[in-house]
Amino acid sequence: MQSHILMNTNAFALRHIGSNEDDKNQMLETIGVDSLDQLIYETIPDDIRLKNGLHLDDPMTEHEYLLHVHELSKKNKAYKTYIGLGYHPTILPAVIQRNILENPGWYTAYTPYQAEIAQGRLEALLNFQTMITDLTGMEIANASLLDESTAAAEAMSLLFAVRDRDQKKSGINKFFVSENILPQTLSLLQTRSTPIGVELVVGNEDSFNFSSEFFGAILQYPGKDGQITDIKTFISKANSANIKVAVAADILSLVKLEAPGKLGADVVVGTTQRFGIPMGYGGPHAAFFATKEAYKRDLPGRIIGVTKDVDGNRALRMALQTREQHIKRDKATSNICTAQVLLAVMAGMYAVYHGPNGLQFIADKVHNKTSELAKALRQLGFNQINASFFDTLQIKTNSKKIKRIAKAKKVNLRYPDKETVTISINETTAIRDINYLITVFAEAAIIFLKIYNAHQIF
Amino acid sequence: MRYIKSLERKDLSLNHSMISLGSCTMKLNAASEMLPLSWFKWGNIHPFAPNKQAQGYLTVLKELEDQLSEITGFAATSLQPNSGAQGEYAGLMVIKAYHESRNQGHRHICLIPSSAHGTNPATAVMAGMKVVVTKSTDEGNIDVDDLREKAQLHKDNLSCLMVTYPSTHGVYESAIKEITKIIHDNGGQVYMDGANMNAQVGLTNPGNIGADVCHLNLHKTFAIPHGGGGPGVGPICVAKQLVPFLPGNPVKKTGGKKAITAISSAPFGSALACLISYGYIKMLGAEGLTESTKTAILNANYIKTRLEGYYDTLYSGERGRAAHEMIVDCRPFKANGIEVTDIAKRLMDYGFHAPTVSFPVAGTLMIEPTESENKEEIDRFCDALISIRKEIDHATIDEPNNLLKNAPHTLDMLTTDEWYFPYSRETAAYPLEYVKSNKFWPTVRRVNDAYGDRNLICTCAPIEEYMEA
Repeated sequence: MQSHILMNTNAFALRHIGSNEDDKNQMLETIGVDSLDQLIYETIPDDIRLKNGLHLDDPMTEHEYLLHVHELSKKNKAYKTYIGLGYHPTILPAVIQRNILENPGWYTAYTPYQAEIAQGRLEALLNFQTMITDLTGMEIANASLLDESTAAAEAMSLLFAVRDRDQKKSGINKFFVSENILPQTLSLLQTRSTPIGVELVVGNEDSFNFSSEFFGAILQYPGKDGQITDIKTFISKANSANIKVAVAADILSLVKLEAPGKLGADVVVGTTQRFGIPMGYGGPHAAFFATKEAYKRDLPGRIIGVTKDVDGNRALRMALQTREQHIKRDKATSNICTAQVLLAVMAGMYAVYHGPNGLQFIADKVHNKTSELAKALRQLGFNQINASFFDTLQIKTNSKKIKRIAKAKKVNLRYPDKETVTISINETTAIRDINYLITVFAEAAIIFLKIYNAHQIF
Repeated sequence: MRYIKSLERKDLSLNHSMISLGSCTMKLNAASEMLPLSWFKWGNIHPFAPNKQAQGYLTVLKELEDQLSEITGFAATSLQPNSGAQGEYAGLMVIKAYHESRNQGHRHICLIPSSAHGTNPATAVMAGMKVVVTKSTDEGNIDVDDLREKAQLHKDNLSCLMVTYPSTHGVYESAIKEITKIIHDNGGQVYMDGANMNAQVGLTNPGNIGADVCHLNLHKTFAIPHGGGGPGVGPICVAKQLVPFLPGNPVKKTGGKKAITAISSAPFGSALACLISYGYIKMLGAEGLTESTKTAILNANYIKTRLEGYYDTLYSGERGRAAHEMIVDCRPFKANGIEVTDIAKRLMDYGFHAPTVSFPVAGTLMIEPTESENKEEIDRFCDALISIRKEIDHATIDEPNNLLKNAPHTLDMLTTDEWYFPYSRETAAYPLEYVKSNKFWPTVRRVNDAYGDRNLICTCAPIEEYMEA
């Protein structure tokens, strides 16, 4: 009688592990061992084998897991968010979501070492590099780093490495960090500077003295509170003092602002999260690193370059690999291996999708809404102190009171201290969102007015 | 859409065939692990949003940390590092902070075996350490005597050892416990590179072999797809004494009580990608994870057996077995004028991405099949390598015009009217029967690296060209 073995085809392990029991037995036979346990016994030394199994929850089926993770997602509250600090709500074009983010043809590929079977993503990454060099005004860019803060740390390392002979000889090791830098970037610069012998000096760029004790500096453009930094004056003074300058720039603002490269910056870094990538509670997002061609041998990470195949046809591949750690080991320019290729492909494709005019439109839209909000807040009597801004306003007011009202209205603003509130406008912000923001401040204005009147009476 | 598709068609990914890259663990990624990444309530949370709004994330991240601590046999985990290299760096900085907390801040010597991945020494230098390389034995293992000598020589300044386990040679070194003890006896900590963790899960763990900290590559062992070169996630898992130093963030409180400053921008690094590993562990459970490790070892040893007589395997364990990957020697084929690169490129004609080329030994291929490839696919891959071996036998050093040197063969070159090559078009394009049913065409012939480096062009024609996409 033929037996029918019933099996739970929903068990995930059966899906994940390629071979079934019959196949495994055949393979064991080929190898010449009786059982899988025998093979493991012959493979792993006895004295390091675990005595007990792992203590983990019972496995879920795929269906059960999706229900579970859906339930969990409800515990995340997607409030309207204007926190900024390098992360903004975005609109990921559906064509990119469906055909890249959700497409194993893109997300399961390996790093493109085998260039002949990787021309697609190499081209997408070349688009990314082109977009970055265009927007930053620099000569050369890599195909992504891990995040803005690590990119800033790499910028510091590069500027330290390319000090001139005299600076090296006299042990010049001070690096100026603007106090307007993102807090997470400052923290990362602290981590990275000490071990390599760099001394950080944090201060205001307007009162910096351009002393010859400094080899480099980094500015945030626009600053973390939204004020557009006067990088032009700073860079020109720094250049005359033989201090090299890195600029951590907001990629969307670069569509409108003067490119740091045109103003003489040596390195420009930043994140491309704003180009359609979800915030995802912090990542993953692709950072960029752009510099002068003169520093190409010190550039960290992967660079895609154009070359020829044996028939002389145009072909792409990763360039200048001799800089990298798999070849140069402890003499390498950085330890970077994995980058953020999928995210760089998506951000580059976002630029392709919108084109230069579309990006201009988005940047204008963001800026105009910010201006409208600034005007309305001024009319309500609030003190907005950014003299020039792109997308972020800085308001001097009682931040605790604003926070209470905003929270009740399910709006996230940023409250750096007791008397400051900042608001960062983004691509998803609609007119009704601006109006809603105005109601937050209007409500606060009424309360302030009542308090004021109360004081007048007594 | 069509532009995206036209690019996608040029690339070989796991949805076409096995990518058996040694030390990279290119396992298959289930759609159910990936689906939540597109959901609005996972995508739209700001990293500095108040905790109350991120309870879903905080639940997942906490549970994933606990799962990884259990799997590695350690006390705590930080998910902040967003790549393996960042994890390495975080691990060394935590060790450094630990030494400093005990007034041992002068400890700066980092021992690294000669077989280590190049990232190890690069990271040690970034962490301000001095690298001392220890020797390997002829069998490719760590030379314990040399290690002991160097550990003792530097005992006053020894910071740590960086060791990969199983080794980059694909061997479970039986001396590992002795090795970790030597380091501890001389005041150092042991950093274990978790690149090969897929050979450990459920069977052994870093805590068990005597390490103090390890990083994991969630994009290798825990099923985050490689994305063409990222995203990755490189958490570190640490023993009790290192927990206070796990990295923090200046905006959102995270990490240990005496946290070191940030390693990545975001408090939990690439939090969204962590969902993939969370799902992987949730759906496999303890038994499924352990079975995966065993199957990965089975698959590697099966390939080793099938290639016997065609390719020599370098390095085996004491009982003659490979771990979850193996190195096959291609250097003898130099006598026929064939380099390992020629084999890598010829594999493209057979529809396969090459295994890892010339790492950790020049002139070799390192093959890692993972547990998720089935016997059928593994057999096709072995058939391809065996068939190439026969082609190598026909190659001679005097005649570079052969199947291997001319590989890969593109559709363009095969459809020209004239054919100058000393073999048929069919042999070039369809060397085995299976290739016909699902042919992958490389879109360019072999690229010239040196030319491009001499004439560096790293941007494309103006972006307007692609605007109608």
